[in-house]
Amino acid sequence: MSESYEFLFKFLVIGSAGAGKSCILHQFIENKFKQDSNHTIGVEFGSKVVNVGGKAVKLQIWDTAGQERFRSVTRSYYRGAAGALLVYDITSRETYNALTNWLTDARTLASPNIVIVLVGNKKDLEAEREVTFMEASRFAQENELMFLETSALTGENVEETFLKCARSILTKIESGELDPERMGSGIQYGDALRRMHRQEKLQPRTSRPDCAC
Amino acid sequence: MALKLKLKSFIGSKQESVQTPIEETVTDILTIGAAVTKNKVEIKPVNPHEEQEIIDGIEENYYDNESFDTSLHELQKLPEQLDADQITEDCLRLRNQLQAVSKRVSELILQNHLAYATELQQVMDLQRTLQAAGLVCQTGRKHLSHARKSFTVASLGLLSNYRKRQQLIGLLKSLRTIKTLQRTDLRLREMMEEEDYCGAIHLCQECQKAASTFKHYKCISELSSKLQDTLEMIEEQLDVALSKTCSHFDHQHYSKVQQAYRQLGKTQMAIDQLLMHFTSAIHNTAFTIILGYVELTSASSGAANFQKRQYDDLCKHITTETFTPCLVDLCKAMWEIMKSYFKTISWHALNDQDSCDGDSEIFHQRYVGTKLDHGRSRIWEDVQQRVKKFVLATDLSGFKFDEFIYILDIINRMIEVGEEFCASKSEGLQDTLKLQSLNYFKTHHQIRLDELRMFLENEAWEMCPVRSNFNILHLVEFRFMRKWANSRHMIPENELTTEDKCESLTTDQESKSYFSCYLEEGNPFDKQFEEEEKEDVFSALLETDGELLSDSDSDVAEDLKKDYIDEITGEAHSYKHKRRSSSRTILHKQTPLITNTTLNVLRVMGKYLQMISILKPIAFDVLSSLTQLFDYYLYTVFSFFAPDASSHNEQAVNPRLLNTLQRIRDNLLTNSSVMYVPNKKDPDASTDKVATAKMSSVVQLSDPKSLFGLAERVVATESLLFLAKQLDYLQPYLEELIPITKKTFLSQFYSQTVKMAVEVRVPVYGVVSGLSVSYESVLQQMSTVRWDVKEIMSQHNTYIDQLLKCFSDLRKKLEEVDKRVPLPKVVINLFWEQCVKNANRTFVEGFANAKKCSNGGRALMQLDFQQFLTKLDQIIELRPIPDKEFVEAYIKAYYLPESQLETWINDHKEYSSKQLLALVNSVDHLSRKSRQKLTNIIEETDKGRRL
Repeated sequence: MSESYEFLFKFLVIGSAGAGKSCILHQFIENKFKQDSNHTIGVEFGSKVVNVGGKAVKLQIWDTAGQERFRSVTRSYYRGAAGALLVYDITSRETYNALTNWLTDARTLASPNIVIVLVGNKKDLEAEREVTFMEASRFAQENELMFLETSALTGENVEETFLKCARSILTKIESGELDPERMGSGIQYGDALRRMHRQEKLQPRTSRPDCAC
Repeated sequence: MALKLKLKSFIGSKQESVQTPIEETVTDILTIGAAVTKNKVEIKPVNPHEEQEIIDGIEENYYDNESFDTSLHELQKLPEQLDADQITEDCLRLRNQLQAVSKRVSELILQNHLAYATELQQVMDLQRTLQAAGLVCQTGRKHLSHARKSFTVASLGLLSNYRKRQQLIGLLKSLRTIKTLQRTDLRLREMMEEEDYCGAIHLCQECQKAASTFKHYKCISELSSKLQDTLEMIEEQLDVALSKTCSHFDHQHYSKVQQAYRQLGKTQMAIDQLLMHFTSAIHNTAFTIILGYVELTSASSGAANFQKRQYDDLCKHITTETFTPCLVDLCKAMWEIMKSYFKTISWHALNDQDSCDGDSEIFHQRYVGTKLDHGRSRIWEDVQQRVKKFVLATDLSGFKFDEFIYILDIINRMIEVGEEFCASKSEGLQDTLKLQSLNYFKTHHQIRLDELRMFLENEAWEMCPVRSNFNILHLVEFRFMRKWANSRHMIPENELTTEDKCESLTTDQESKSYFSCYLEEGNPFDKQFEEEEKEDVFSALLETDGELLSDSDSDVAEDLKKDYIDEITGEAHSYKHKRRSSSRTILHKQTPLITNTTLNVLRVMGKYLQMISILKPIAFDVLSSLTQLFDYYLYTVFSFFAPDASSHNEQAVNPRLLNTLQRIRDNLLTNSSVMYVPNKKDPDASTDKVATAKMSSVVQLSDPKSLFGLAERVVATESLLFLAKQLDYLQPYLEELIPITKKTFLSQFYSQTVKMAVEVRVPVYGVVSGLSVSYESVLQQMSTVRWDVKEIMSQHNTYIDQLLKCFSDLRKKLEEVDKRVPLPKVVINLFWEQCVKNANRTFVEGFANAKKCSNGGRALMQLDFQQFLTKLDQIIELRPIPDKEFVEAYIKAYYLPESQLETWINDHKEYSSKQLLALVNSVDHLSRKSRQKLTNIIEETDKGRRL
């Protein structure tokens, strides 16, 4: 598969066990609902090239285990993430209550500029809802998060969530708020851009004919 | 004559000679009535009586006959002797008689005259009437003849007309027949529509026969030519009907068609046609399907006219999204055609047996049989070609793994169908499979390798908690192997899921042939969807698997209990990696040390194995790629955690491991600038190779507090070993998979790479053991010690205390690390072994540094070392202390007599020349000469060593 992209963003999906993190990722990548979902062990991975504002961006998404005992494994992946999806289950107040802890983790371990989207999953289970949209929305506002409610089952808002996060990062890059060149930014130039940059750097040297090394 | 004679005699008498003729004349007159009347006058009235008498006297003869010749009678009566008197008398008498008669006659006449007159009158009248009648007759006749004349002509006309009518009726009949014949055409068409070919042909042939009887009609020739046309048309129709067989075999329909052909006597031709139809059906169907999909996807752009494209060209326009459904449709359609063919064969096999009569019939059947038989492989060849061309036209390398597996599965199924259809090996499709798989797999593998690199680069080498008896079979990706493992009793009974049992059932069912399963309905290429559903069911069952893989925190206690029970019964609950260490908690020690990346590698390996099981032809390529995953993991772990082991501490690394690393570097890694000089310029280094991974900046290996990242090192190295162990477990399975000719590759991989993994421990932990104790400062301290003491010392030197302090600190640090990452005993032992060896080496080095040494000094050395050993015993569990002899022998060599020292030096090459020289120099009981000699020996060996 010839994948060319301009940027590569490292994404994280975090949140309590059973919130539907893996299902969201699966829905995003395969456009299918994963029926037989087991607890994630450690960290799983998925990538997809999306088009954000006319730019091809490759999302490198790390889907972390929500269970407490994997915390040490998953934490090591926080570093250098450009964006994160903080997922809770709208039918489980417990997962919602854990958000503060997750948020603290993400803010301390990941880069300070990390763009976090709060995701209330299982929107399709309206009847079992325990967390209202308003409540979560207020939480998001207080913590300067973007907020969306999704359904990994129906696919509603799944792609939007990733796109929204990516778009926000891209805006920050364009505004100069984020520097992709900085270590641990979670952003890399894609093939096309990398070549361009390399050429820029090589410019002074290329004035000299091919070095005989 | 007699009369003549009489007459002559009479004449002779001359008297009467003249009278006789007169008499004769009179008699003549008398015979006539008229003569009577003439003589009337002479009659004299006589008495009636007399008269009566006279009349009575008349000779009887006179009444006799009218023709009676009276004269002659009289003459004959004459006697011989004529007597005139007599005669006269006679005459008279005769005269009288005559008179009487005449008189009587006249009387009678008179008497009857009136009657006569009336009678005459009547006669006259009659005559007149007769005349009138004659006239009437005449006119009647005239009329009659006229009538008759006119009557004959009419009747003749009538007759002829009748005949004409008859003819015309005949003609009309014929014409009607002809009309019917002409109408037949219509009926024939109807029959065609009703698919009553047999009847149609029959009818047509009858018509032709009928037509031939009417050959004399002009119009018939036209008609019969038309009939011929119709017959041809029927044949064409029949041909069309025959061609329908290709796409959908209908028993009745085909029977009809065959019967029709038999009627035409063209069964052989029919078969040839049929084969041709099958061929064209294959081509057309394939083309139509592809065209449909191409047009569907290019509907928006749709400028190009795809209708006229070649099949091969068209195939290139299939998009990746539509490839799979298109392939399924194609295969389904091909299956339908083959199924029809198969049914055709069975039809013939069945029906030809039934109706075996006549030699020609048998000959026909044999012909048909062989034709159909030969046709099989031709049909399959065509089908295969279509599918092959289609599959090859698209680059599948970008497909998702599952989808690709699905495609492979379809093609494999097609091959199996082909195998069943005509026992074909389907080289074409096999090649296609191989080609596409290789192509796909290469890309796939490249992506996997890159992904692995990414995983490694992001890996923080944190332990990923899994169940203590975790092994690959717990992973979904290896589920397919459970059956195999089960057959080898590799899964403990209590871990068997119902799925394992199900699986053995389903395989039994699958062994049924395609043509018996799907002959009537269904399509083998529909099956996947069912299977997919099945997989979902399985997955639900797998919930338990997930738990097996990662114990939820609450299970721990239960798990512990279980293991404990196992301990008591001594039953081997799991295998290999379950070590029963007595010192620490069982659970703690048993947990396999694996990383997230390890899991990923295992999963990828599982997928590769799945690929192999589906795709035997490229098994070897997949397998060699699978080994690359391990290679890369091994190389990366080594390069991350023992980057300079090879340069610094060469003895510590197994040279075979170094060889392996070198091989991996040459074969797998791109010539990145990170390390080593590129050995050759590769124009496209990106293919089949992967860049070296750079360690995540999260990992800190230089902090002494964390023992130079010992935890990470242990996780990394032990996870590598876990991988190696899993590969060991897989070895018998892998050996079954690859061809015998490639076995060497596998055994080489195992002996050179998998077995070498354990060797990685030495350099990786060696770095830590080398850095965590400051042997330099010990050495420093030792150099301050005076070894030329005169008396025997009772107190050991302080450097020993310092070293021991370092060791006990190290132990504490190890315990801390152990809290984070359970350190396997082997690792701890190895680590301590390395530390002790380092210490021993330091001791020897330190002792060798002594410029002067007395007996007392030697004793002090022993004391120091003894102190070290005694205290060490309390710190470490390692038994026996490694390399103890290395130090002891060095110390004690001092006491050896001159003669033995030489042999000792020759035997102990493990000491450096410097150490040996120091020893020789410190021994004070040696003569100068022998010291010189020993020095020379050492220098010689040193030279030899350097060369």
